[in-house]
Amino acid sequence: MSITQNGAATQSQKLMIFVLSMSLYGLATLFTELIPSIQVGIVEFSVEFFLFIPLVLSMLFDPLSAALGAATGELVFSEIMLGQFGGLGELEKFITVTIGVYIAGRLVKNPKNHVMVGIAAFVGTGAQLLMGTIVDILKVQFAVSDFEAVAGLPESVFATEGFAFLNDLLFSGILFCLLPTLYLVPKLYGKIEPLLGMQPRTKETGLGEISVKNIIVCLVAFACAIGAEMMAESGLSLIDWEAGWAESGTALAAGMVVAAVIAIVMLMVMRKNADAVGKA
Amino acid sequence: MMQKLSENILDKFSMDFLRNQVLKNAYGNDDTIIAVRDPRILLVWYLFFGLVPWFVNDLPFLLGCFVLVTVTTLLARVAGLVLLLFAVGVFTQTGYLLAATILFGGDASAIAPLLVLTLKVATVSLASVTVFSGLDPDRLSNGLMWFGCPERLSFSISYAYRMLPMLMEEFQNVLLSYRLRGNPPAHNTVPGKIKYLIYQVKIIIHAFYPLMLNTAKRSRTTVEALEIKGYRYAAVNKEVRKMKLSSLKVTYDDMIFLAISFLWVAVTALVSTLV
Repeated sequence: MSITQNGAATQSQKLMIFVLSMSLYGLATLFTELIPSIQVGIVEFSVEFFLFIPLVLSMLFDPLSAALGAATGELVFSEIMLGQFGGLGELEKFITVTIGVYIAGRLVKNPKNHVMVGIAAFVGTGAQLLMGTIVDILKVQFAVSDFEAVAGLPESVFATEGFAFLNDLLFSGILFCLLPTLYLVPKLYGKIEPLLGMQPRTKETGLGEISVKNIIVCLVAFACAIGAEMMAESGLSLIDWEAGWAESGTALAAGMVVAAVIAIVMLMVMRKNADAVGKA
Repeated sequence: MMQKLSENILDKFSMDFLRNQVLKNAYGNDDTIIAVRDPRILLVWYLFFGLVPWFVNDLPFLLGCFVLVTVTTLLARVAGLVLLLFAVGVFTQTGYLLAATILFGGDASAIAPLLVLTLKVATVSLASVTVFSGLDPDRLSNGLMWFGCPERLSFSISYAYRMLPMLMEEFQNVLLSYRLRGNPPAHNTVPGKIKYLIYQVKIIIHAFYPLMLNTAKRSRTTVEALEIKGYRYAAVNKEVRKMKLSSLKVTYDDMIFLAISFLWVAVTALVSTLV
């Protein structure tokens, strides 16, 4: 496991970073999942209390591995293990967390520069929260069928989501992302890298500026996140359940019932035969 | 009375309780009807009940789906904590929207679409509770792998279930050692209580410092052990994948499970056209 010339991590070191970030952030999100969300009035604090963990790791190590590890950890530990897996919504969270952490990690060239670490932590959190807010608004817009028709609902969604965003950014952005990151990054810098057999990140070994290409990739990924959420709108006309039943719906449904019954009976008989053969 | 109640709840919510519940959820029920199903069949089943309810606004159909996933959740014998989380999640998701709607001048007409939304959310989450809590982690990751999910995801699932109890214990130990050495502020008055809360949060954040170093060491050991077994090459090798997945087998029982679900959906569709 040698260090390559330019100080970049080797494949196995990337895997170590992935595992490290996954287990730590997964453990932390498991706790936040267990704490009932704090609600003050109508505003829900959807605080990512522990986002500082992947932020710190992405500033010290390879940002992409740390970001992917954190998103996977959250998905596996807190969603799949607790059976909270919500399908499309998780894809959105996965992508937004990855992008937010990745941006923060790329912004820091030298972890000794406190100002930059602080700015990066704040920007990363802000990016993640903003993307989450946009997707949330879109989600409610398509899930409630007659969204515009319900009096007061559109305004309330924009107002609560907007307020929650600002509130989360100021509250969790400063208290739970900025301060812990500023505390942990200098403390861990130079201590945790040797444990993974790496050299600390310096100006020379950093990955350099964020290029236009990185930004475009991030935007495309975010578009995918929205696309997953908005699939329903186009899907509604694609699948078109109600229209199919409107014409000869009863006959079709009755046919489906009969087919299902026949299938069950046939399967039962086949299973019985198979059992008999197995015994004989 | 109030004090006793809160003490009781705190007792229940200890770290050991959490660990037990998570472990029970993962390994405690591998003899249920749901757990022995083929993971691929269950994932296909989940794909239907996780997606279709979002697109349908037909009330009898949604109710029918909801009843079915409730039954399967009961069959899977999911841990109590998970069900509690599910209930809290569903009601906070839609309950506060309702409150906000009323605040912004909406009236009772807002309740009906929100009820439909709640029903959709509940159905989809129960379907996921059935599949992801009901299945053994190893079977689940095998099933995901069969559908072409990246090897890293299946690895993460297996790793998470094995490492989590250890990680939790370590975190608890670190936290307790910090508490032993610390001197918490008095928390009889309101400002004192706020100070106490800040102190607790601070301790948790500080506890992550040794935890990060320990986990870094451990993840290096893990990866080195994986490298010895040739993990990174095996992950992309087709031959290895085939060997890994050869344990999956669809039985007649799996087909019957699918057929019964299909029958139920068809019946609800029939009912919804008749109504």
